[in-house]
Amino acid sequence: MNSNSALSIEEIREGGVCVVALAGRIDSTNANEVMTRLTGLISAGEKSIVVDLGTVLYLTSAAFRALLVATDRADRSAAKLALCSLAGHVRDLFEMGGMLELFTIHASRQDAIAAHS
Amino acid sequence: MTRSVAICLHNEASELAKVRDALDCLGREFHLPSPELIELQIALDEIVSNVIKYSWSDGVDHEFIVRITVRTDDVVLEIIDDGAPFDPRRAPEPPRRRPAARVSHPGGLGIHLIRKLVDGFAYSRIGGRNHTTLTKKFVQAQSGRGELNRE
Repeated sequence: MNSNSALSIEEIREGGVCVVALAGRIDSTNANEVMTRLTGLISAGEKSIVVDLGTVLYLTSAAFRALLVATDRADRSAAKLALCSLAGHVRDLFEMGGMLELFTIHASRQDAIAAHS
Repeated sequence: MTRSVAICLHNEASELAKVRDALDCLGREFHLPSPELIELQIALDEIVSNVIKYSWSDGVDHEFIVRITVRTDDVVLEIIDDGAPFDPRRAPEPPRRRPAARVSHPGGLGIHLIRKLVDGFAYSRIGGRNHTTLTKKFVQAQSGRGELNRE
């Protein structure tokens, strides 16, 4: 693994949906950045968020916690937060951790945006 | 036939990057297969962050050791700390189908992932220190085996 595996967080506006595209690895050193960005969007009044995990290399329990906290915050703020594009190791880890049933998950970004529109 | 690297860490979350980078370096040097290296990185993050969060409760700076050993067909991670006695293998499984409980008490998930990701998970208390050992087997790439044989 090289420097390309550093975490990046990109926000893209797709109509009324805010897509947050994560890339790289999400672990104990940077999971708080993800949580802060997502909860910040919800606090700012964002009502429809899709987190795209398509280019995430791997994630740890700290990342799951960040996503759970953000989902919980969205629920309490009458906002919708969904995940999309789980593949490879990332999907395996969701399954391994029993996480698939705890989130709204779409196969692709397009599917997620269509469901939120 | 083996290469061992020992890293001294402080009990701060930012220290995790040191062991993550060290394992990355060894992975490149020995051409460790990517899936196994990723699984090791996750297990390493989980066990070291667990030590940082739970081994000491006095709010004081402490040091502990992480030793990474690459052998012919496996990698061994040893974590040695002088914190409170704790066998991580006895951590309870995370609650299932209770999202709210998972948000407030996610601690068991990391240990659950370790159990799934490594081939060996051992613990002993020796001389007032916790010794936790994780072992991950891998099939060495041909070029990597050549490098190991030159050790």
